[in-house]
Amino acid sequence: MSVALLEGLEVGSALPSLTVRFTRERLVRYAGASTDFNPIHFSDHFAAQMGLPGVIAHGMLTMGTALRVVTDWLGDQGTVRSYFVRFTRPIVVPDDDAGAEVTFSASVAAMAGPSVTFAIEAVFDDQKVLGAARAEVDLGA
Amino acid sequence: MAISEVHAGRSYPPTTPYQVSAAKIAEFATAIGDDSSSYRGAEPIAPPTFVAVISSPAWELMFDDPELELTLSRIVHGDQRFSYVRPLRTGDVVTGALTIDKVRSRGAVEIISASVEITTVGGEPVCTAQATFMHSRGEAA
Repeated sequence: MSVALLEGLEVGSALPSLTVRFTRERLVRYAGASTDFNPIHFSDHFAAQMGLPGVIAHGMLTMGTALRVVTDWLGDQGTVRSYFVRFTRPIVVPDDDAGAEVTFSASVAAMAGPSVTFAIEAVFDDQKVLGAARAEVDLGA
Repeated sequence: MAISEVHAGRSYPPTTPYQVSAAKIAEFATAIGDDSSSYRGAEPIAPPTFVAVISSPAWELMFDDPELELTLSRIVHGDQRFSYVRPLRTGDVVTGALTIDKVRSRGAVEIISASVEITTVGGEPVCTAQATFMHSRGEAA
């Protein structure tokens, strides 16, 4: 077990937060890497047809980026056992240099032996875009 | 007939075997902005949410099933859970087999719970990907 990582960690402990800009370039990259080519993630006219306020980020991109708060802390000292998110609000990504700024954070929700469960939050435009997000890591692996 | 409770338990054959490569892992890590050395080099492990790449073709089998009469543009990914046995690694050859666990109707929306069992072609379990999708019926006001 990675004793060093557990030292000083208690329920409520927060990990360093992460702020990321989702740009159209990032969406195109994620589309290619993930093979999710739904046009709501790159086409303005298609997004409009779908009644969306604009091109939106892949929920799985948000989910994958959010977990970095935990895995950046974990490094190679353990493994992720489970990860859950609810997709509660879309992240609209404009076609400009600024993109959409999303801030991710995580704090300890539960600890049991080598297992630590983090509650994760993702905030865009002052609103949470993920609900009930939890990642359980195992430091005994 | 359109999707309903009777489709709970319906399952699909495993997806075409997918060989996990170092290049694809690095591409995916870059797309989620993760520069960790764990995902680079000759024999990396994959970021946890890389399993979406294996899950997607399994989801598509269900979305494209004519029996269910689903319309892709009316499907929203509601939530996602990944339960890991171990990380995916370079050289793994894996498939995803989807089962519809539950279908609930709420007004004009069907709430579909589906699990994808990701295993190596040798039968070793790697991850279970449980998703909830919301499908809006077109004829509903």
